[in-house]
Amino acid sequence: MKKGSWLAIVLVLAIALAACGNNSAPAPGSGSGGDGEGNPNLTMLMQYSLFDPNADPVAKNIEEATGYKVTYEMLPAESSDEKLNLMVANKQNFDIMKLGSAQFYKLATAGALEPLNDLIDSQGPNIKAAIKEDSWESVTIDGKIYAIPETGSGISVGEELVVRQDWMDELGLKHPTTPDELYEVLKAIKKAKNIVPLTGTKDSIYGDIAAAFGVLNDWNDVDGKLLHKAELPQMKEFLTYMNKLYSEGLLDSEMPINTSAKAIEKFSSGNAAMIKLAWWSASSGEAALVKNFPEAKIGIIPYLVGKDGKSSIGVNLATTWFIAIPKISKHKEHAIKLLDTKLKKDIFIKLAIGEEGVHHEVKDGKYYPILPKFNDDLTNASSYMTGVNEYDYPAYWQARVRKDPVLQSYYEAFQENAAKGNIVVDPMSIAPPIDAVSKNKQKLTKLLDDTVLMYIAGAQSIDSYDTFLTQWMAEGGAESVKEANEWYQTISK
Amino acid sequence: MKSATAPLDKPQAKRNYVKRLAADVKRDWDLYALLVPGILFLLLFKYAPMYGITIAFKDFNIFDGYDASPWVGWKHFAKLFSSPDFLHVFQNTVILSFLKIGILFPLPILIALLLNELRRMLFKRAIQTVIYLPHFLSWVIVSGLFIDLLSSNGGLVNKAMAMIGLEPISFFLDNSVFRGVLITSAGWKETGWSTIVYLAAFATIDPGLYEAAKIDGAGRMKQLWHITLPGIAPIILLMFILRLGSILEAGTEQILVMYNPTVYKVSDVIGTYVYRMGLGNQDYSFTTAVGVFESVIAFTLVLAGNALSRKYLQRGIW
Amino acid sequence: MTVKTSFSEKLFNFCNYLFFILVGLTTLLPFVNLIAKSFSSEAAVISGKVNLLPIGFQTGTYMYVLKDSMFLNSLKNSILLAIVGTALGLFLTTITAYPLSRVQLRGRKWFLLMFIFTMLFSGGLIPTYLLMQNIGLVNQFPVLFLPAAINVFNMLIIKNYFEGLPDGLEESAKLDGASNIRVLFSIVLPLSLPVLATIALFFAVAFWNDYFTSMIYITNQDFKPLQLYLKELLVSSSSEFLKDNVDAALNTTPQSIQAASILLATLPILMVYPFLQKYFVKGVLVGSVKG
Repeated sequence: MKKGSWLAIVLVLAIALAACGNNSAPAPGSGSGGDGEGNPNLTMLMQYSLFDPNADPVAKNIEEATGYKVTYEMLPAESSDEKLNLMVANKQNFDIMKLGSAQFYKLATAGALEPLNDLIDSQGPNIKAAIKEDSWESVTIDGKIYAIPETGSGISVGEELVVRQDWMDELGLKHPTTPDELYEVLKAIKKAKNIVPLTGTKDSIYGDIAAAFGVLNDWNDVDGKLLHKAELPQMKEFLTYMNKLYSEGLLDSEMPINTSAKAIEKFSSGNAAMIKLAWWSASSGEAALVKNFPEAKIGIIPYLVGKDGKSSIGVNLATTWFIAIPKISKHKEHAIKLLDTKLKKDIFIKLAIGEEGVHHEVKDGKYYPILPKFNDDLTNASSYMTGVNEYDYPAYWQARVRKDPVLQSYYEAFQENAAKGNIVVDPMSIAPPIDAVSKNKQKLTKLLDDTVLMYIAGAQSIDSYDTFLTQWMAEGGAESVKEANEWYQTISK
Repeated sequence: MKSATAPLDKPQAKRNYVKRLAADVKRDWDLYALLVPGILFLLLFKYAPMYGITIAFKDFNIFDGYDASPWVGWKHFAKLFSSPDFLHVFQNTVILSFLKIGILFPLPILIALLLNELRRMLFKRAIQTVIYLPHFLSWVIVSGLFIDLLSSNGGLVNKAMAMIGLEPISFFLDNSVFRGVLITSAGWKETGWSTIVYLAAFATIDPGLYEAAKIDGAGRMKQLWHITLPGIAPIILLMFILRLGSILEAGTEQILVMYNPTVYKVSDVIGTYVYRMGLGNQDYSFTTAVGVFESVIAFTLVLAGNALSRKYLQRGIW
Repeated sequence: MTVKTSFSEKLFNFCNYLFFILVGLTTLLPFVNLIAKSFSSEAAVISGKVNLLPIGFQTGTYMYVLKDSMFLNSLKNSILLAIVGTALGLFLTTITAYPLSRVQLRGRKWFLLMFIFTMLFSGGLIPTYLLMQNIGLVNQFPVLFLPAAINVFNMLIIKNYFEGLPDGLEESAKLDGASNIRVLFSIVLPLSLPVLATIALFFAVAFWNDYFTSMIYITNQDFKPLQLYLKELLVSSSSEFLKDNVDAALNTTPQSIQAASILLATLPILMVYPFLQKYFVKGVLVGSVKG
């Protein structure tokens, strides 16, 4: 296998280099100036997160591990695209930028980013070793690589329906397995408890129930063609079903204005029986519920099955962050060296989850954090990441989930349930940036979500869906679909 | 006043315009000197960037820079006016603005007048301090408060309505009442704050006038009507003319936080519409064109308002 | 004050007091709610149980916020900004308003139009940012108060007030040979305390509440003011921000701490108003207008 041999070479190379790196890296604390003195001070632009990036222990770790002093600047929490444009247009100097996908695409096509092919070939052996071939697609425009892709934590699902198990037991109800059964369960709960049983939020319309209808991902492969979820015929069925729940008082009428905090408030105060819960909110949510109702228990409803009798879960594996070097940088080679060093196997693990025995421990091949040291030193480590070792990181990353046993149990239960069904990866996950898609994505997503909420809430009749679809197509949907399929044809042969 | 300072001039000289000008400038040179710093700040921070308005007539690409972006004439204005939603959005903007001016403009004046009638100083000061508190809450928080208060699922207002046998209303989701929610919350948040400028104006009214009125046997209402109100009329007029200048700004920040798709029909205004259409692709030229359109209308209204006020009330801003 | 109050006046008074008690309560209660939340346990806040009294009383939230160096530093910045900005703004705005309030000033109308024009038209963010960068203000503390130091709205209010002062005052001073500037500082300003207090308040509050300027121009942690910190705290916990960012979702700020931060960020500026209120008293002109 071509791919296998390539991998082997890279691995050997990586290990060899890692060993070298180990020798030449300055020992922490032993006059680290020695090696780093010839290195220029680099500046890196990062995405917003609530901490001081230049005072965080991770920044110091990076300096010690790589020999580069880096000054960090963050985009603002709001209007970040605006600020980025202003900085780039006014030639503010950065050596490294961590960008979102829309930001990346805009800067790359505006010619503000340096093509990295040669630099990576000559200076980036660790980068090459860390990143899978598929991921490079997402950063390649017209054959040129404009960034190092940073993918997330691997395949994982975030949300699943949970229910007040104590009520289910009291009423002798079984977990529903299909949308129809779900409907009956909701009706039974409403009758017995006189509440609106299912609550939801404006930000999380799809997932669970939608998936049972076949509305899985933003983009779906139907007979070799890419269809956006807006075009799926199943969309109408899903909306009709949701509208039925809504109009019969089974779905929270305030869904169009609920934030996730509000939905959790309704669930934990006993005003709702069922909610689509994200595992990262599970810990605090459960604590609040049990505080109010000491006998309350939460049951996780397995993913509903669709017409084909199987459950399907859509996931997106697209590159989340794009690590680019702007043309304006005066230290491009140093920048790529820094990025490369950060991806050295031993340095990467240290920057991601710290040292074994100090910050994390390994049990049964799984990584566990050692608290509180892990939190003290590594809480913000993800913000500093500039690409991850795609082979190891999903396993490392789970140490973050194991900071809290409740969090961990929900996370693991969700993943286990998902694994029982069909995990369908959005085919666009591995797509290169596509002009029409990148340009229209945010606007079209908002348009679709807004309209979907109107249909669910019955503010508009589902009969008008086709009219809406025409509008959606006209505002950029059609060109997105066309260009997406043009790309899809090139890879599906 | 001019005649009082006239001795500086030579009465026998032929008074041509330049001379008068020179004389006036000489007389008031220190006033002009006082103006200098303010004008310098204005020129630097406000007028120097003013060329940016012309972005509305270009296809501006921020990365190419200003000079490299081509002129396109009225294209972006045409796009705005020909957009299918423009009429609807414009209508909403004007309706909301008129409602806000009609209801929320007089409100702080009324509150200020009533506050002025409070005789217990401590109570009056406490109330003044308390009613301006909401001004310091951001719209996100105010929106959260009103969502809780008006919730159809346990909100205080709906509970009270249920007690007197009324059907519950989903205030945030109902096209027939949502504008009311917008006006009420805006009133709650800003009325107290807006009274301050009127309260300060009361301080300028000569108390002797009230004493005289009392001796003449004028009651509270009469004093209010004949002394207090005329006393603050200039500031009311100023505030009103300036308020006209933001007629097409119906509260974008507030609406963006509070509205949701089910009430777009009655609450989608120019600002929110442009925001949604611009998501993800900063179309600076189009946004600027919308801004210029709003500014031109605003400027026209302020000019007209001032002219009318000068004609009928014998005073204006200038 | 010995005039006998009639029944209708009594009724009016009663209703008026009642009205303000109700209005006062509606504006005060949300703050009581915030205070209660900030002292409550997170579990109670999450499930929306906290109304007017804390549930699961704790003070850890305040300990947390008051120990946060980012909070403390931005508090310091905001206080400095409010003081410097208000002083400069008040001075600049007053000396601009005075000449423009003098009817005899030649070109007065054009100057006024020139000022008002900038209230309604602006060049927009892009050229302004370019300007700030060219004069070296980006990421510098003065960018937070210099561009806002001349405020046309405030200037018009002061000008309006000056115009309302009796002409007689000035004339008598002029006859004594005082210059315009002398008249302003020794006669006009002492009579203008109510409006100066108002405008000082407007400036202080505007500088205190402004986060947009700092959001656009300041990335340096050392110069960020409190409202930007607060904005960042709230935005980074909003569901929209967390939607696609699991790592951020794992580190959200508890709602009780958010409540404590909001209160701590608002309290300092709230104390300004009661302090300025004493200048809002009637009768500043008494005794100054003779005959």
